[in-house]
Amino acid sequence: MAQQRPPSLVRQIINYPLDWLEERSGLVGAVRYFLFRKVPRDTNWSHTLGSATLTAFLIQAITGAILAMYYKPETRTAYESIERITNDVTLGWLVRGMHKWGASVFIILMFLHMGRVFLFGAYKYPRELNWVIGVLLLVLGLFEGLTGYLLPYDETGYWATVVAININGTAPFLGPFLVNLLYGSADFGTDTLARFYSLHMLLAPGAIFALIGLHLYLVIRLGVTSPPWSPEAAGNERYEPEPPSRDGRDGRRAGLLRPGARRAAR
Amino acid sequence: MEPRRPSQPHLPPPSLWPIGFAVGVAILLLGLVVGWGIVLLGALLAVAFGFLWVRDLASDEDAVPPTRRYELDPLGAGAAPAVGARGEAALPPMDDEEIETYPRSVFLELSTLGLGALIGGLITAPVLGFAVLPAFIDQEEDAVDLGPLDNFPEGQWRIATFMENPAEGEVTRRTAYVRYNGDLKGVPSFTVISNHCAHLGCPVQPGGPITEEQKKEVKTEGAPVTLIPTQPAAFSCPCHGGAYDTEGNRTSGPPVRALDRYEFSIRGGNLWLGTSYSVSEVDGTGKDATITKYQRMYPGEHVDGIEQVLYPLPAPQ
Amino acid sequence: MAVVDEKHAQFARYKDDVQTRGKPFFPHAMFHDTVMSVVVVCVIIGLACIWYFTSDADAGEDGSGWLGPRYADKADPGTTSFIPRPDWYFYFLFYLLRIFKWPESVILATVGIPTIALVLLIALPFLDRRRERRPLRRPVAITGAILVMLAMGVLTYKGATVRESLGGGLTDTWVEQNNLPENARAGADVFQEAGCMTCHSYLGAGAGGPGPELSEIGAQSGKNVDYFVRYISNPREFGNNIMPVYASFGEKTLNDLAVFLAASKGPGGG
Repeated sequence: MAQQRPPSLVRQIINYPLDWLEERSGLVGAVRYFLFRKVPRDTNWSHTLGSATLTAFLIQAITGAILAMYYKPETRTAYESIERITNDVTLGWLVRGMHKWGASVFIILMFLHMGRVFLFGAYKYPRELNWVIGVLLLVLGLFEGLTGYLLPYDETGYWATVVAININGTAPFLGPFLVNLLYGSADFGTDTLARFYSLHMLLAPGAIFALIGLHLYLVIRLGVTSPPWSPEAAGNERYEPEPPSRDGRDGRRAGLLRPGARRAAR
Repeated sequence: MEPRRPSQPHLPPPSLWPIGFAVGVAILLLGLVVGWGIVLLGALLAVAFGFLWVRDLASDEDAVPPTRRYELDPLGAGAAPAVGARGEAALPPMDDEEIETYPRSVFLELSTLGLGALIGGLITAPVLGFAVLPAFIDQEEDAVDLGPLDNFPEGQWRIATFMENPAEGEVTRRTAYVRYNGDLKGVPSFTVISNHCAHLGCPVQPGGPITEEQKKEVKTEGAPVTLIPTQPAAFSCPCHGGAYDTEGNRTSGPPVRALDRYEFSIRGGNLWLGTSYSVSEVDGTGKDATITKYQRMYPGEHVDGIEQVLYPLPAPQ
Repeated sequence: MAVVDEKHAQFARYKDDVQTRGKPFFPHAMFHDTVMSVVVVCVIIGLACIWYFTSDADAGEDGSGWLGPRYADKADPGTTSFIPRPDWYFYFLFYLLRIFKWPESVILATVGIPTIALVLLIALPFLDRRRERRPLRRPVAITGAILVMLAMGVLTYKGATVRESLGGGLTDTWVEQNNLPENARAGADVFQEAGCMTCHSYLGAGAGGPGPELSEIGAQSGKNVDYFVRYISNPREFGNNIMPVYASFGEKTLNDLAVFLAASKGPGGG
């Protein structure tokens, strides 16, 4: 694309490092593709729930990482470290508060997002895999809430964890072994808190990040759906001005908007 | 031999001896920090590999030009490419008559997968074992001293709070409801009921007044034990509505069996608690009670009845 | 197969539509996303601030603000007075466990129903293979969704409002709301501490069964202090085989309870 005049100095300064990076990695091109890809014309505010959920999760990840710098994951010191974070550490109350309430917001947004996807029928072909990944993310998100609840080692967390682990214990055959695995011993012991900490901080977030990456990749690849009731919904057949067939039936499956049928009804 | 082009420098052939030499030097330097023995070891290695390297270089009459693209083929999958060959001509021949009985590519594929699996296994097995096994082995339960028998008047309940393993601290704190029933055949009989609900493990509460003012702290060999008098007419669970009678039998709600109990023994005039066990039902009361014992199961797991088949293997306790 | 071709054709049409008539993600859609994300961040920070500034440094209920206390009491594995509850988003499961109160059915509530629900959720795209996306033409899906949302909403609400006051604290409310005389206070405390609310409710607090609601029991004819003392000491005498026998409470405690119950004539009476 030849330009009529040489690019301005500012443009040159911006473009030079980007070109350098692009030539060596291709990343700039990938970001441009992500930013400037086309989405259906009629996407609306309800489509923002997915990225809102991601934002909430990132807040959890960042505040969680910062909390981990002050939290002491041992039964003798965990509660006191939480007290300290809340009362003594500068802005510790804010980070802890954001993490605590961010968890609830994250879960609410996940359910809202799931509801929106369900309403739009966006789990149907070809987005089935994305739905399955989403459900796994939901389960992992709830799991994060469960394991995180124990970490302040307060009464509410302790007993909620005991009950949750025992619920797993009622599963047939493997239940008792699952309890041992989650407790780290035969009963709530010194290893249980550390185990939940590792699950909450490392294993589950790792899995969530990986699945989110896959989820986003699929969204970018497969595209987002238009609201199904929208007259301009992408994928409808209305733009193809086909000659109405003799008997009004084109042999296509029922339920799709057939322009011939619509015009005939009018 | 092809005459060497003067513009081309003579490069030595590929050789592994410099690696050993480098390792030797590194170990020698490390030894300067760690100790003289390591220095000696490093020096020996460096000298040995250095000698081999130099010998290799010195004996190298036929220098191989740098244009040789492919390493010596240990399996001889084909004739070595012509010296100075480039591009297609430098690739090993793919003719059928020249292919060995065990093609190199197949060997490489299989050995890559095999070694990869081996590495994966070597890393995963100990790590998984570390994560999983300690939960199932290393289980031990020491007896707990609850203090002198005088603290348990006959017919009265005490809420006894103790540590199952004082070395591990507060996290092993447990509570039991203890009542002295009098003597059975000359031996004191106690009812010692665990306060973990048999439904899902919530802390069971006494259905009756608790006289906190008469709380007593008893010093024992282990951690101090707290005894609080109470007069329960029943036990009830605040979580999902389970209720038990004073022998621990379920009277209403979702608990799947009676409350667990503790083995007890009398040593030197003190009451000692042993391992806990699960109970399906208790007939009778106090010292005349008949207790149907089972190995301790987790809450929610049936020990008798039809649903007991769902839990054939108790987890190690 | 014609069906498969139709699927592919529709998706190809979709891609085409997006390419020809779509808008670039940046800035149009991304603007919406960014605004929503800002809202989310502000909501989270706002909640954190409200939570912190309306509470104080006391642990547990004492330091509670508009959004609860800063932290509960430290974990006490040997407690005999704590009422465990999960985090709010698990209330629906929690209440499910209360519904299935027969021992044989426990496994249904703990693993049966949640597992089936999860399997159905994961398998949804394989169960619903129709290509129709408009809600009004997917009656089964929409009805199912509404029922599920209603069920979870009701279960969560019920789980949140279940009250089991085993540690007292409701006496003041009861005295006020139920017009109780001062000498009923002692009995009201015992009523809460002794676990009566595991089976009974009083002014809506406590368990819905198996015992009846008791806030108006004193208004029934013949139910005076003596009656209650006799009943509570030995419910068997009155044909009640479920309620425990509380004779061991002692005279004073039984009398306090009886006074309390006899005075419980409902908000209108007394």
